[in-house]
Amino acid sequence: MRTALFPRMAALVLATGTAVTVMAACSSSDSGNSASGSVTISVNCQPPTSDPIDRKAFNDDIAIFEKAHPNIHIQPKDEFPCDDPKTFDAKLAGGQMENVFYVYYTDVAHVISEGQAADINSDVSGVKGLGDIQTSTLGVFKGPNGHLYGLPKTNYSMGLLYNRALFTQAGLDPNSPPATWDDVRTDAKKIAALGNGIVGYADYSASNQGGWHFTAELYSQGGSMVSSNGKEAAFNDAAGKAVLTNLQQMRWTDNSMGTKQLLTIPDVQAMMGAGKLGMYVAAPDNLPTLVKQYQGSYNNLAIAPMPGDHATLLGGDGYMFNVKDTPAQIQAGIQWLQFENLTPGAGQFNYQRSAANGSPVGLPEPDLWKGSTATADDQAKAKYANVPSQNDQDFITAMKTKQGKIEPVDAQQIYSVLDGVMSAVLTNQGANIDQLLSDASTKVNSLLANQ
Amino acid sequence: MSIAQRGPRSLASPMSLRSTQGKIVYWAIFGGMLILFVLAFLFPIYWMVSGAMKSTPELVGTPPTLYPHQAHPGNYATAWSDMNLGQYLTNTVIQAGGAWLLQIVLCTAAAYALSKMRPLFGRVILGGILATLMVPTQALVVPKYLTALDVPFIHANLLNSPLAIWLPAAANAFNLYLLKRFFDQIPDDLMEAASLDGAGPIRTLWYIVLPMARPVLGVVSIFAVVAVWQDFLWPLLVFTDGTKQPITVGVEQLAANLPLNETLAALVLASAPLVAVFLVFQRHIIAGLGAGSVKG
Amino acid sequence: MVATTDLAPRPVSAPARAPRAAGRRGRRVGTNLTAYALLAGGVLCFALFSWYPTIRTFLLAFQHTNFVGASQWVGWKNFHRLFADPEFVDAWRNSFEFTGVALVLGFGVPFVLAVVLNELRHWKTLFRLLVYLPVMIPPAVVAILWKWFYDPGNGLFNEVLKGVGLPTSSWTNSTHTAIVSLVLVSTWANLGGTTLIYLAALQNIPTELYEAAELDGANLLQRVRHVTVPQTRYVMLMLLLLQIVATMQEFTTPFIMTGGGPQDATVTVLYLIYKYAFVYFDYGTACALTIMLFAFLGIFSALYLRLTRNAD
Repeated sequence: MRTALFPRMAALVLATGTAVTVMAACSSSDSGNSASGSVTISVNCQPPTSDPIDRKAFNDDIAIFEKAHPNIHIQPKDEFPCDDPKTFDAKLAGGQMENVFYVYYTDVAHVISEGQAADINSDVSGVKGLGDIQTSTLGVFKGPNGHLYGLPKTNYSMGLLYNRALFTQAGLDPNSPPATWDDVRTDAKKIAALGNGIVGYADYSASNQGGWHFTAELYSQGGSMVSSNGKEAAFNDAAGKAVLTNLQQMRWTDNSMGTKQLLTIPDVQAMMGAGKLGMYVAAPDNLPTLVKQYQGSYNNLAIAPMPGDHATLLGGDGYMFNVKDTPAQIQAGIQWLQFENLTPGAGQFNYQRSAANGSPVGLPEPDLWKGSTATADDQAKAKYANVPSQNDQDFITAMKTKQGKIEPVDAQQIYSVLDGVMSAVLTNQGANIDQLLSDASTKVNSLLANQ
Repeated sequence: MSIAQRGPRSLASPMSLRSTQGKIVYWAIFGGMLILFVLAFLFPIYWMVSGAMKSTPELVGTPPTLYPHQAHPGNYATAWSDMNLGQYLTNTVIQAGGAWLLQIVLCTAAAYALSKMRPLFGRVILGGILATLMVPTQALVVPKYLTALDVPFIHANLLNSPLAIWLPAAANAFNLYLLKRFFDQIPDDLMEAASLDGAGPIRTLWYIVLPMARPVLGVVSIFAVVAVWQDFLWPLLVFTDGTKQPITVGVEQLAANLPLNETLAALVLASAPLVAVFLVFQRHIIAGLGAGSVKG
Repeated sequence: MVATTDLAPRPVSAPARAPRAAGRRGRRVGTNLTAYALLAGGVLCFALFSWYPTIRTFLLAFQHTNFVGASQWVGWKNFHRLFADPEFVDAWRNSFEFTGVALVLGFGVPFVLAVVLNELRHWKTLFRLLVYLPVMIPPAVVAILWKWFYDPGNGLFNEVLKGVGLPTSSWTNSTHTAIVSLVLVSTWANLGGTTLIYLAALQNIPTELYEAAELDGANLLQRVRHVTVPQTRYVMLMLLLLQIVATMQEFTTPFIMTGGGPQDATVTVLYLIYKYAFVYFDYGTACALTIMLFAFLGIFSALYLRLTRNAD
């Protein structure tokens, strides 16, 4: 008899990782200041040893930074994924969270509301270029009091990731991907007609990912998940119905979504990497994974703007500051983040180095900047680009103009409800969409009421 | 050696096994079970081992292939070096080995005490131990973690130490219960005889009871090692130092940047030692049983 | 579990003894102390890593915690939140269904396998190894494997069914068949251990009993009914209880195979606890659900043990 275990699922369901504690001590993260005025901060999300190129780049950056700031010492922690919900709370509970810790956009509100992040509003006045970060991106890290609690690292918006080779094979033009959901349907049908186990369009329907994609697709149809006061479900309308009807028709009428459902991220990525999938909704951060883990190729993969003329779902990541950090540690952390993540030409934006290392340059994310910094960044990227970024040109252009909406509050629990809706539509031919939406709406209302 | 002579008599009578009809039935059942077992239990292993040798697109492609069209046995070597499996395996062996030892010693002692010595409050203690079977271990993970961070009274921090695996592993109610059950079956006469001969409870345990207990010790050992070997969430939490993690966590951590077939190869390599361990302990069970039924 | 010359399952204790001398009490205290010494190590581990965390869980069930500052006492609020959650009822129903189906499909199988394996006298090690192999396969691999088996389109099972002309199934894709499909996976992955336990128990049935039964003219099935089953009755009853308790705590299989779907058909109580703890970050409510499960299992076990008291 086996004792039940939470299973390992990185390559297949959830990626996981571990945090590396700095000091062995029972108490909080680390020593902070010493008498001579030097500061030590722990920073997580160092790339793992299985990613030697990025890891070396990160370590080199630390060396460069420490040389420029001799009184700051950085202790990196590697873990993958950098933000693992399974260890997040435990780390916080045990005081093991790093001084400067990595978060997804979706965690920010929760972390702030639980009082687990330091308010850095007064400390960021020295940060250059803060004004050139896109307002919506920076806004993610602002608390209800309007103060800043963290700094972004990347952002992404959802688009349509597609396989150029399959498009060509199906007689479609890989340079003009579908721009409306009707087009998606037509194209998916043609790709699925290629046979041989090839799927035209795939979507998630398990582990809350179905709900997440429903949200993205709802935004693209012009809908919203919750009302503006956050108290009521708002997806039981024409937009919501359009999303589901579209999926239903692709699944059952056209048969272009394949028979295997209850898919999650690794399932779909595996299909795409193996050349068995025409298109799916994704963010550009999928591209490196498809190439590294699933043996796809950059030449073949492209990303188009989200179909439909409306908004798209925004996401991203960044760093926040442990509420127990000393002011000196916060200052040090801000300086590090500024160097590594927010300085064009250095740190993560050191395109010259990336190109020399063979890392992909020219992917359409992140897209943090506006104004003159944006222009400079684009030029630098173009100069060193080594992936066919013309594949993604439309997406890049659209990113600047398309409205981006972030996830609703209490996203995960709402996604859980919508997961049921997605899986119903995709596994049950006789699913009644109106009924499903209405039931889901009632459930979400009761959830929101009980917060 | 005839069929019947190969082992102690059980359900089938020796006479029927000598008859021709009996032999036909026996071999038919034998063959049937063999095929069933190979299909049900060996085929997945084959699939896992051969899958690791496929290229990733072939691995995930549909329809799936029964054998690799282009075998890459080198995946195993690559996985070993890319994922630094040697280090992770060493960690796992240390953690599982220590947990096994501690569990055998502590649980056997406790089961013996509860079963044969029946101290005051023994039933209460047993009840408390069995009650832990009702609480799912995963749900306890965070409080357990907080305990490991700061052990009450001694204020030690067990993070990144194998003790964080060994000590909780010793609290295995199921194995303790198996042991106690076994000891319960040992007749009191035997214990009486031993004590009349002047042996105290400990001597009785060591010289008389333990040698008898080989079968159940074998079973308990297998369960103990497998539980620690396969555990994931707990080592994920307590080993923040990457070099100390066991193989389940280590492979997980590195998998995201490596091709899927390599990850599968790593998982195969991670399971292989378990099979070896099983064979070792499994023989122990047979040896213990084959030593004959102890009479009286 | 030692074979004895006694034919009864319980060893017969010696007839009335001579009254002991007063030294008995001294010996009793000594025995107690030795017993406590033997128990000390184990009890310490249980206390630190089972009992103490369990008590903390009880306390946390009535608190709202953010792990940084002090926790706040919120009384029954976490429980209210549970009752208002649409998944709460689903989770309990699914867990009961899972346990029930697992009993029907999975309880008898290890016993039957053990009985048959016990009769086979060649290649015993191989059979034991094979039956235990699934336990040693990492859950991640189990998931990839069975997801392929269950693919409604061209998964192995449906291909085989089509090949012999039988109707195919949606397996995990349909709310009607999802739980049964998962039970198959779970049974396959876990029956090795139980089979081994039964094997050990069977090996200790005194051979004389079989001889006596045969002399009485019992055929094979009758021997099973009148010798094998009664002799293993206690083991079976205990394993039955343990199986019920364990399958009510099922989490791994739905987690890796279906993510709780389709339409929450496979969300179990443990899965919901996981969601509250690690997805919704509401640790207090997760603890509340944990103690509800604990209470249920505790009461159930107490009743069960009372009813089966006479089995041994």
